[in-house]
Amino acid sequence: MSLYQVQQCLFDYLRVLEDPKTEGRPEISTEGYDLTDDERKVLEAKDVGGIYSMGVHPVIINGYCRALGYKRADYRKLLEDAAGPQTETRRFRWQTS
Amino acid sequence: MADIVMAYSASHAPMMSADKESAPPDQAERFFGGLDKVKQQLADTKPQAIVFMTGEHFTNFFLENMPQIAIGLGEGFQGPLEKWLKIPKTIVPGAPDLAAHVLDELVTDGFYPSFSHRLKLDHGFMTVYYELDQTMELPVVPIIMNCTTPPLMTLRQSYEFGKSVGRAIKSYDGLERVGLVGAGGLSHFVGEPRVGDIEEEFDRWFLDQLEKQPLSDELLDMSNEELAHAGNGTGEVRSWVAVAGAMEGHKATALAYEPIYEWINGMGVISYQA
Repeated sequence: MSLYQVQQCLFDYLRVLEDPKTEGRPEISTEGYDLTDDERKVLEAKDVGGIYSMGVHPVIINGYCRALGYKRADYRKLLEDAAGPQTETRRFRWQTS
Repeated sequence: MADIVMAYSASHAPMMSADKESAPPDQAERFFGGLDKVKQQLADTKPQAIVFMTGEHFTNFFLENMPQIAIGLGEGFQGPLEKWLKIPKTIVPGAPDLAAHVLDELVTDGFYPSFSHRLKLDHGFMTVYYELDQTMELPVVPIIMNCTTPPLMTLRQSYEFGKSVGRAIKSYDGLERVGLVGAGGLSHFVGEPRVGDIEEEFDRWFLDQLEKQPLSDELLDMSNEELAHAGNGTGEVRSWVAVAGAMEGHKATALAYEPIYEWINGMGVISYQA
């Protein structure tokens, strides 16, 4: 497993989608990347929550969701579900000064 | 020697260009009103080139090679990268002699930026640049800062870096009038469960902090970990802090702040008295 390989695969896919010569929205190609079967499945299934859970960089996730045409509220829900309940009780300096 | 004749920082949410109309009109009007004021400063002070600091979004660099800082030395820079940005594609003219001088001075000063003759410009640059100069003829020195991929520069390091950029500009004898811009922030969350949130309290506190001279230890000593709680995209304020470093001792005035949820971004403008 290599998170870098997953991210490189997604990065290359986004570049394909951004290419003016690209027509429509081709499927992601996972060929040539050193991925586990589970990683390949997550990418081919367009599993946004799974991609988040693997630790993919949020800038890549942002571009990926935009490229797939997700509405923000829809992919936020996918990410919330993947992250599970979050509790932050700390107060930060911009809230206390 | 060159004077820094205008300096400001502004948010660079892509939707300020790509989907301008989605914002509540009164909020958009107040935000763009702030940018109109700096556009007037441009008309009044007529900088011959702009040094422009903004964040990296995996446009020029990726994980195989990620500099903390990169300077564009080219004669021109292609932009915008994004097909959907609603800004005409163009070649933005560079200012290679000024860029080379800034690079040289930064290295002498103890900073070691990467450099490139082939930087491409994405929304992080083009949104703010286009609002400043719709002819897109104003020469620029792009400085790209890593603001999202740890390890990251602290705010204090960004401030010291900005001071060095300011010294470098002022020691350049090839031009008389240079502008300085920081673009990015304010608070926003991308690609994570809080996407769409805005930390308004942080944004207002941050602008208040920038208006104080000199900048406080409370701001500059904030850890990267704490800053990230204001948003995983909010670290782009490193460019704002760098501009503040370059303009240390100059009065700063917040010209606009609007939390525009439709653009998923705290949208602000702050300007410095030259």
